[in-house]
Amino acid sequence: MKLWQKIFLSSLALIIVAINVISITLLNNSNRLLLEREQTHAINEHEYFTASFSNAVIYAKLADDKIALTPSEIRMIASGIVEGSGRTRDSAVYDSTGRLIAVNGMEKILPEISLNGFIDGIDSTGENYNVSVYGTDDGYKLVIGSALSAEGSDYRILTASDISEIYAMKKKQTDFVRKVSVISAGAISLILLITVLIMLSPLGRLNVYTKAITEGNYRIRIRPRGSREFRELAGNMNVMADAVQSHAARLEQIAEDRQTFIANLSHEMKTPLTSILGFADILRIKKQVSDSERVEYAGVIVEETKRLRSLSGKLMGIVAMNGTEIEKKPVKLQDVINETKTALVPLLAKREINLECQSQEITISADEELFKSLLYNIIENAIKASPKGETVILNAAMYEGDAVITVTDHGIGMTPEVVQKAFEPFFMADKSRSRKAGGAGLGLALCRKIANLHSAKLEISSQPNEGTTVFITVPGEECL
Amino acid sequence: MINILIIEDDENIAKMITATLSMVDYNGTCRYDGPSGAEEAMKGNYDLILLDIMLPGMNGFEVMEAIKSCGTPVIFLTAMQEVSDKVKGLRLGAEDYIVKPFEALELLARIDVVLRRSNKTQDIITFGDLSVDIGRHEITLRGEHVQLTPKEFDVIVYFLQHQNIAVSREQLLSSVWGFEFGGESRTVDIHVQQVRRKLGLKDCLITIPKLGYRLESRDSV
Repeated sequence: MKLWQKIFLSSLALIIVAINVISITLLNNSNRLLLEREQTHAINEHEYFTASFSNAVIYAKLADDKIALTPSEIRMIASGIVEGSGRTRDSAVYDSTGRLIAVNGMEKILPEISLNGFIDGIDSTGENYNVSVYGTDDGYKLVIGSALSAEGSDYRILTASDISEIYAMKKKQTDFVRKVSVISAGAISLILLITVLIMLSPLGRLNVYTKAITEGNYRIRIRPRGSREFRELAGNMNVMADAVQSHAARLEQIAEDRQTFIANLSHEMKTPLTSILGFADILRIKKQVSDSERVEYAGVIVEETKRLRSLSGKLMGIVAMNGTEIEKKPVKLQDVINETKTALVPLLAKREINLECQSQEITISADEELFKSLLYNIIENAIKASPKGETVILNAAMYEGDAVITVTDHGIGMTPEVVQKAFEPFFMADKSRSRKAGGAGLGLALCRKIANLHSAKLEISSQPNEGTTVFITVPGEECL
Repeated sequence: MINILIIEDDENIAKMITATLSMVDYNGTCRYDGPSGAEEAMKGNYDLILLDIMLPGMNGFEVMEAIKSCGTPVIFLTAMQEVSDKVKGLRLGAEDYIVKPFEALELLARIDVVLRRSNKTQDIITFGDLSVDIGRHEITLRGEHVQLTPKEFDVIVYFLQHQNIAVSREQLLSSVWGFEFGGESRTVDIHVQQVRRKLGLKDCLITIPKLGYRLESRDSV
């Protein structure tokens, strides 16, 4: 069952029950008041009847000047009174032995009255009245009974008044209330249905919205409308959609980067492979290969194989660093710089470059081998960019709480566009020059990986034909 | 003499292609970037252009647009595997494409197909006393007609087009019988023996163990 149906049906049921309970209570209440009034009225009349009976007895005694009346005389009087009041009231009189001595109009209900012990239950002191309602074919009768003592014996006097009207009215009112409650229930249910549907309509919109998101439409946003809860929910769902969208975008970016990386890698591998396969094939199938040809062809094969070797080495470096925890130890920067410099001596000599190193006493927490490789790659780039006889300057100092290492050359420099792309894997500013130097375009990508593992920042500032400075900023937390 | 322009930014690959072409006496000229390659293509009189896609200056597709008017057939060389790139090249009017890395003979085979389509190959090849008219499907030995089956004819033509080059049975199979032919190298051997017998090429069409066959020109014997 749907929520709107549940809310609608339960509210409707409650309302109908409430209407009925209230109207029935009201009805009963007014009916009871009417009955009470009628009863008071009836008691008054009963008293009047009793009084007239007593008076009649006294009158009879005075008129006939008797001390006492005989039972038959009293029966006469009773009959007279009963007959006399017959127009307005039904009545009956019993003597002390329980014999009916006079009756008018009550004949039909007397058997029932005598059967259920009404007469025996009458208080013989005469102070209290016995009151009861009896239903007959003609209608309802309110019967009042009391005791009267006259001439030494007790009489039971019953009077009955017709209260059928009250019951008829009650029945009429009940019918009316039933009709009203059916009509009002219909009207209320209609209004309720519309209200519930309107109030729950934001749910439908939210539903459509979530479906759209599920189907991958992450850009869609819902306008917060409806009651506060729905506005809050819509707001939160928008926040969720934001998060989903940004995650999806990030994953897409990662997938795209990986795609580009693989495409570039495949290209970088196929280029040397093409030369190797081609020349090897020529050497295999050509009948006569001159010495100079053999040297040339095999030379290319060796050169390209070296390129592949360097590519696979760098690649292994990057892959191995992915997802591996590095082992950080306190490392003295001077030591790392000195060792890197020693490793670079042959290259420096070959290129006739002078490397000047200045360093404060700084100890950082780092993986020594990786950090050396970072410095090596960056200084190597500086050397390759510098013309013969130039100087490359390395400076390590504390700056604003961070350890900053700068490597400055006065070489060919880079344009801003090149600087922007410099860290991308396989990017080479000058392809043929890089390839001749055995580069695969992975050096700076590797450096950035290492820097990231050390929470260090790697920045390049460069001017074409003036030179380049690379900043390695190791944050203060990594310094000891 | 067939002149082929090679537009390829990797010098070693360009060198390798030139060496491959020289095996069948084609003349290769190299250009190492897009703009100079396009310029050379428009200027020179080339029978075929081998065009790399990733080029500095202009990429291969741009070069192809630029040289459309000269009508020279183009085969592009690509390291890319994506079908869409191949389709793009072919849509732009390229005759064929070769995916790097490739074998020397594969390159030559593709070049031959394109040259034949554009009628740039020699119709009559002579080899000693032998004269083969490819267009008329005729072969004469010392002025006399020799009857060959169509496949035998294709085999001798393939050898004549790849003189002094070792040809494997697989290459013969794929070139003469088609790539889809799943036959055995035994078929090749029988046809080569027939050709050898009918044309008296016992000394020239030699068997190279573990490799295949080679038709050696008589002057170099």
